[in-house]
Amino acid sequence: MRALVLGASGFIGLRVVDELLACHVHVRVTRRKSTPTILFGPRPLDVVWASLEDRASLETAMQGCDVAVMAAGYYPRYSTDLGTSLELATRGIRNVCDAAIETRTRLVYTSSVAALGPKHADSFADEDDVTPPDPAEGVYPTVKKAMELEVDRARGRGLDAVSLLVGGCIGPRDYRLGTNGLLAALMRGLLPFRIDGWINVLSVDDVAVAHVAAITSKSPRYCIAGHNVRFDALLEQVAARYGVPFDVPKVGLDEARARADAAEKEAEGKRDRVPFPRELVDLVAMGKPVSSSLAERELALRWTDLDEAIDAARRWMMRLGVTKASGTQEERREHAR
Amino acid sequence: MLAENEVRSRMQKLVAEILEIDVSHIHAESRLREDLGMDSLGSLELLSSISEELGIHLDIDDAMGIVTFHDACVFVERSMKGGEAASGARA
Repeated sequence: MRALVLGASGFIGLRVVDELLACHVHVRVTRRKSTPTILFGPRPLDVVWASLEDRASLETAMQGCDVAVMAAGYYPRYSTDLGTSLELATRGIRNVCDAAIETRTRLVYTSSVAALGPKHADSFADEDDVTPPDPAEGVYPTVKKAMELEVDRARGRGLDAVSLLVGGCIGPRDYRLGTNGLLAALMRGLLPFRIDGWINVLSVDDVAVAHVAAITSKSPRYCIAGHNVRFDALLEQVAARYGVPFDVPKVGLDEARARADAAEKEAEGKRDRVPFPRELVDLVAMGKPVSSSLAERELALRWTDLDEAIDAARRWMMRLGVTKASGTQEERREHAR
Repeated sequence: MLAENEVRSRMQKLVAEILEIDVSHIHAESRLREDLGMDSLGSLELLSSISEELGIHLDIDDAMGIVTFHDACVFVERSMKGGEAASGARA
């Protein structure tokens, strides 16, 4: 089997590449001029030039491939410009879908639980709960819903695609520090505030396994949400596990949005990441328990223990000097002996 | 193998290209993030470009401690020497 991976230098993309290689799949990856190819390391990859902005280059890249994994979904660094974010995101996914239709390539699309609709009062959200974009929910959820809608429209034009609605991923080699950035900020005492709500988190390893299993899946959409946890409880658990102070002020959602917006405006000029970006505030604000039972049944998924996933992320962050936590309770006890 | 000053000159050009600034703004002690405004993705792009241009393998995890432009140059030079030593050992 031959697979194309778009976004192979990303946190999820690179882990998918490794899972495909472990399954003896021949892997082709795309790159642009600015792609950090150093992350590919010595992996046996067929590297080709392609851009989401250039449909012809995508068609060329897909030629001869049985499946294309789209892990290059537009990821706005700041939630400050809805119009531009929407335009770039939808144009990119539309080009990928059209190229896949033209080359008759199956598409595995890395989507997000952010594409799921408003909270349910007393039940879990699932694959049937994708709703149309609503700018009131924030830039990130709006962009993800618009992209999911583009894939649905392309299915109507003959696209063979499966969408994976992924929760917040935790694990090593997140060089852009997405969800892991929150953990790093907490461990370094840099988390400016905390809020509460439901979030869905899982190991990036489980997400990679899901992508490979989805290549031959039956259903058009799977929730890959992992663990449903209260955000505040997770932070407290992480702080206790690694012996870091948990004196972060708790704020309401409106204040969290305002503080995240202000931090992003300040960071934008310097191209910095902020410890608690607006995108994550919006995700917690609209968070809900999500059922991944369809994926568990049809893709035979099992979730890595959350502590194990966080330990792996932390080990990597410590090795890189991103965080200097003092150790798990077990490690501290061991050290004290 | 390239001379040290040639590596530095190429690195300087690449940093200037990535950050869209004049090479005259880049000095040995310039901090990539604080002084030049290079974020983590920019650093990865820089090391990718130099790795491709010089045909050397750079271990990204070893590069995360780089702070200044001088650090980056030393890291690349050390990697080049390491690669040369490895090929010599194989020969």
